[in-house]
Amino acid sequence: MDPKLVEVTQLFARFKAAYARNDLDVCANLLSQLKVLLTKFPSLPPSFQQTPNAVEELTTARDIYEHAVVLSVKMEDQDAFERDFCQLKPYYMDTCGIIPPSPEEYPILGLNLLRLLVQNRIAEFHTELELLPAKALENLCIKHAVELEQSFMEGAYNRVLTARQAVPHETYVYFMDLLAKTVRDEIAGCSEKGYDFLSISDAKQMFMFSSDQELQQYIAEEHPEWDVKNGSVFFQKVKESQPCKEIPAAPVITQTLGYARELERIV
Amino acid sequence: MAAVATVSSASGILAMLQEPAEELKLHALASLNSVVHLFYPEISTSIPTIESLYEDEEFDQRQLAALVVSKVFYYLGELNDSLSYALGAGPLFDVSEDSDYAHALLAKALDEYASFKTRASKATEEEENVDPRLETIVERMLEKCILDGKYQQAMGMAVECRRLDKLEEAIVQCDNIHGALSYCINLSHQYVSHREYRCEVLRCLVKIYQTLPHPDYLSICQCLMFLGEPETVANILDTLLSGSKDDALLAYQIAFDLVENENQAFLLNVKNRLDARTPAQSNPDSGSALPGDQTANLGTTSTEPAGDVQMGDDTTTANGNAHPVDPNETVHADRLSKIKGILSGEKSIQLTLQFLYTHNRSDLLILKTIKQAVEMRNSVCHSATICSNAIMHAGTTVDTFLRENLEWLSRATNWAKFSATAGLGVIHRGHLQQGRALMAPYLPQSGAVGGGSPYSEGGALYALGLIHANHGEGIKQFLRESLRNTSAEVIQHGACLGLGLASLGTADEEVYEDIKNVLYTDSAVAGEAAGIGMGLLMVGTASEKASEMLAYAHDTQHEKIIRGLALGIALTVYGREEEADTLIEQMTRDQDPILRYGGMYALALAYRGTANNKAIHQLLHFAVSDVSDDVRRTAVMALGFVLYNEPEQTPRIVSLLSESYNPHVRYGAALAVGISCAGTGLSDAISLLEPLTSDVVDFVRQGALIAMAMVMIQTNESFDSRVGTFRRQLEKIILDKHEDTMSKMGAILASGILDAGGRNVTIKLLSRNKHDKLTAVIGLAVFSQFWYWYPLLYFISLAFSPTAIIGLNSDLELPKFEFVSHAKPSLFEYPKPTTTQTTTSAVKLPTAILSTYAKAKSRAKKDAESKANLEKTTEAESKANQEKATDAESKTSGEKTPEDVSGSTSAKAAKSQEDGDAMQVDSTAEKKAPEPEPTFQILANPARVLPAQEKFIKFIEDSRYVPVRPAPSGFILLRDTQPTEPEELVLTDAPATVVSSTGNAAAAAGQPAAMAVDDEPQPPQPFEYNTL
Repeated sequence: MDPKLVEVTQLFARFKAAYARNDLDVCANLLSQLKVLLTKFPSLPPSFQQTPNAVEELTTARDIYEHAVVLSVKMEDQDAFERDFCQLKPYYMDTCGIIPPSPEEYPILGLNLLRLLVQNRIAEFHTELELLPAKALENLCIKHAVELEQSFMEGAYNRVLTARQAVPHETYVYFMDLLAKTVRDEIAGCSEKGYDFLSISDAKQMFMFSSDQELQQYIAEEHPEWDVKNGSVFFQKVKESQPCKEIPAAPVITQTLGYARELERIV
Repeated sequence: MAAVATVSSASGILAMLQEPAEELKLHALASLNSVVHLFYPEISTSIPTIESLYEDEEFDQRQLAALVVSKVFYYLGELNDSLSYALGAGPLFDVSEDSDYAHALLAKALDEYASFKTRASKATEEEENVDPRLETIVERMLEKCILDGKYQQAMGMAVECRRLDKLEEAIVQCDNIHGALSYCINLSHQYVSHREYRCEVLRCLVKIYQTLPHPDYLSICQCLMFLGEPETVANILDTLLSGSKDDALLAYQIAFDLVENENQAFLLNVKNRLDARTPAQSNPDSGSALPGDQTANLGTTSTEPAGDVQMGDDTTTANGNAHPVDPNETVHADRLSKIKGILSGEKSIQLTLQFLYTHNRSDLLILKTIKQAVEMRNSVCHSATICSNAIMHAGTTVDTFLRENLEWLSRATNWAKFSATAGLGVIHRGHLQQGRALMAPYLPQSGAVGGGSPYSEGGALYALGLIHANHGEGIKQFLRESLRNTSAEVIQHGACLGLGLASLGTADEEVYEDIKNVLYTDSAVAGEAAGIGMGLLMVGTASEKASEMLAYAHDTQHEKIIRGLALGIALTVYGREEEADTLIEQMTRDQDPILRYGGMYALALAYRGTANNKAIHQLLHFAVSDVSDDVRRTAVMALGFVLYNEPEQTPRIVSLLSESYNPHVRYGAALAVGISCAGTGLSDAISLLEPLTSDVVDFVRQGALIAMAMVMIQTNESFDSRVGTFRRQLEKIILDKHEDTMSKMGAILASGILDAGGRNVTIKLLSRNKHDKLTAVIGLAVFSQFWYWYPLLYFISLAFSPTAIIGLNSDLELPKFEFVSHAKPSLFEYPKPTTTQTTTSAVKLPTAILSTYAKAKSRAKKDAESKANLEKTTEAESKANQEKATDAESKTSGEKTPEDVSGSTSAKAAKSQEDGDAMQVDSTAEKKAPEPEPTFQILANPARVLPAQEKFIKFIEDSRYVPVRPAPSGFILLRDTQPTEPEELVLTDAPATVVSSTGNAAAAAGQPAAMAVDDEPQPPQPFEYNTL
């Protein structure tokens, strides 16, 4: 067996051990070493050279990246999640027929969808969705994300928040928490446009907070520009957008006349 | 395992870029570099990340990052950004890579570098801050080209980038240095649009040439002429003359080639330098005596009938031998005198004259037809006919038609008389020795008051100018005196034009002062000519005299003077390109439309034959936007001058303009095509002109007819069938009683141009070496002024150059020498002499049968057969015996060679014995060809060879004479491979010897006119028509 592959496998085993111990720092450290080692394999994307060990290498690499993704969720690092997922994706999309599909594929894809939802990147969410085969939509993990998105779009925010209880995978919890905040931001945006002010109790209900403190805290953190006085929340009116631009009539007219004159001369 | 996986997205790799670990970033960059061509859209969104990598000083693969960014920008079409990052990529950017990316960027880099260099050369203050990295890339590329043996590429790039050092390197390393050099010369003329830089390139080339063991002196001298370095040319010639016989031949050849470019001022300079050198090198006795004699000869021959250059040479050399001097030096002196004869233009003019005289095939019947069709009282058509005759016989010295129609001729009065007299100058063009004697009857007689009409006197001075155009050393003094001695404005007019022509481009201060005095009299007629004359004198000197002229143009009230000056100013900037820009700007911005009109000419002449984009752009702009019709017309016409080096382009460029609603623009378009495609017979040009010849506006028809004639000159019907159609159209217009005078005039002139110079000349604006022919261009420019002033029509004769191969031996005589033209003779033969149809229809006019005939003709056009029979009978009644015989002869001889046919018809002339001999030489050569249209033809020295025919010319390999320069046109010096055997000379010397004899005879004026002409270029006398 290829010594490099051996090295990687051994290192990966140590990584898994640390992972099982939940020793995240060691994991991260090992992971970056692993990634560097992976660059030595020519069979990995983007070159996809057909080496004798291609299958093993690909499978191992995919495994490593899957772990990396989950690890990033555990470390609550969204950037790392995106990075690792992007690197993992070619193994899902481009390796069909070389290595068998991974059991972790759908949970991770669902996780990614959820992340996009959390980050309110709806367009990318749909792009990803379109790339999935039809039968993938049947999968529980994917379905979960899709339903969430639908509720989100409908404005059925309560359903979104209650869905936290029915997560298909333990890693989803992190994102579900974040999602609640996304939902609140969305509501806040709408309220700002829709109301001049809201009474504290209405606002509490609207933002689905259980206590006034939570509301106060949220306002202080996210929207310091709002005023809380007289038992109501006053939204700062968004400034009127500028009046529509003037049409530069005179230049347009002179130019058109100029063209007409030139045309006449030329013919 | 079987399926081959491919990446579907670069997002994975891009994500890797964000990784904290350096190795991962490196790996990502390397991967990106390999897939950038597939995923540049994805990568483009991450460019800022990669850029930041490049800018990160600590990142050790910055260059790789730069390369990736550069590639992405390239695919996005942002070449500027791409290039700047590619420069950042340093050595990673591989100039030898064979990819679109590398090619595109290299091209971009070169452009960038070249344009930078160009800018740097203009504004010296932003010194050399060219990006050294850019320079390195270009240099790497040049070196690679040189290494790979792609020398032409390297040379092109070096020239483009103004790296003369690299150019030199490329040329020197090239295995075929001569080829490379001539390639470079071509390159510099065609693609280097900046004049000063072109000079630099040429200077560099000359330098390389001189270091070679066997320099190509022909090319060097051409370059030097362009650079205007007579000293060096004189040196080279002198060295060659002192060398072997072959070297001397080469020197002669160089001299002929230089003469062909018609740069009088330069030639004079070379000649003077050679003069200056002589006493120092050779025995002072023979040395100073020779040139002295020679010039004396040249100066006096015009008055003394005895003068013949050939003779003069013989006597002087004889003298030289009498002195007890070193034979080598005698030889050298002899050669020197010969080369001075060539450089002065005398030799080539004399040979040309001989050629045109002996080969004259003009068709008098055409003229006769015109004469009879033209109404007597219509003076425009009358003088057009006279002009047409002059053009047809330009340089042939055959004035039979005039002699035969003295009474008819005398109808020309006033300015028509001026023109008619000037026409003689055209006919006798180049008759340097006899010129003044010929014109004597008309010239102002000193002392004899009221000798002749001022019109004929003025015309005669103009004629002298035409005879001596560009070779006026001998006549200049006389013209100046005439100018000073008169106060009649008509004579001043003629004298100014004459002086301008004779001292073309010499920038002689004294002459300038004389003409300026005339200008300041503020007489409209004289002033106009003075303006043009000053321009002619100062051609191409770009002297500050122009601003003086411009100032006066603003002062004067007379439109004519302004116009004359405007043209004059334009002439002074001839060929100066960018140097003229300020002046052009000044003129084209002027309030006065006449000066703007002059500005158009200035543009045309400054950028003549350069196809300079800027000039074309400017002209097109004026052509559609100026308020004055005159300016617009001229602007379009000027395109013809700018584009004459690429005649194929012109029809395309002016095709839209030729459909303009404005008749002036259409007229201009017609002439533009006429000028730039002159003598090419280009099919596109003819197609463009054809509809214009039947335009609704009369002057457009006129312009189109003249332009068509210029394009079709010397093409015959078997080359392009439309020539025949056009000839018939001309005839129809001339004979049509209801046709407008304007178009009739056009048709008459067109017939003249079509058969110009006895059908042996063409209009050529470029010499063989692609230099422009100054005289020809100037001639056409002034000719196009005939719109305002008919006498200027005669300037077209300056544009004519004989289509001949004339082989000369080391004594500058014509040995018997043959060569082959590998083409059907019919393609290039003379047009058939006018058919019986023409003659009879002309003759028929007065007869009673005519009307029925004409009807029959209109009813059934096509029964030519029966008509021919009938015509014969009518003809028999009305025609002189002589002509009938001629006709019968041509009928019977039927399939006889064209030489013969035309020989017998055109010449009642063929009676002189010498002439007859010459003809026989030709016809025997002709008869070697078998009857069914042969595919080749053997031509004998000197022969008529059309420009289009040149590519078919082959020299016979084992012939006795070998040409010094294998280019098949013009004067060719022949090396004798059997110098010991006696040489057999062609007998065309005959006319020259006759010159002297008839010169004597001329004193006895009693000879019948026709006979005298038969004999030869006949001097003055007999037909002095109507002296008022």
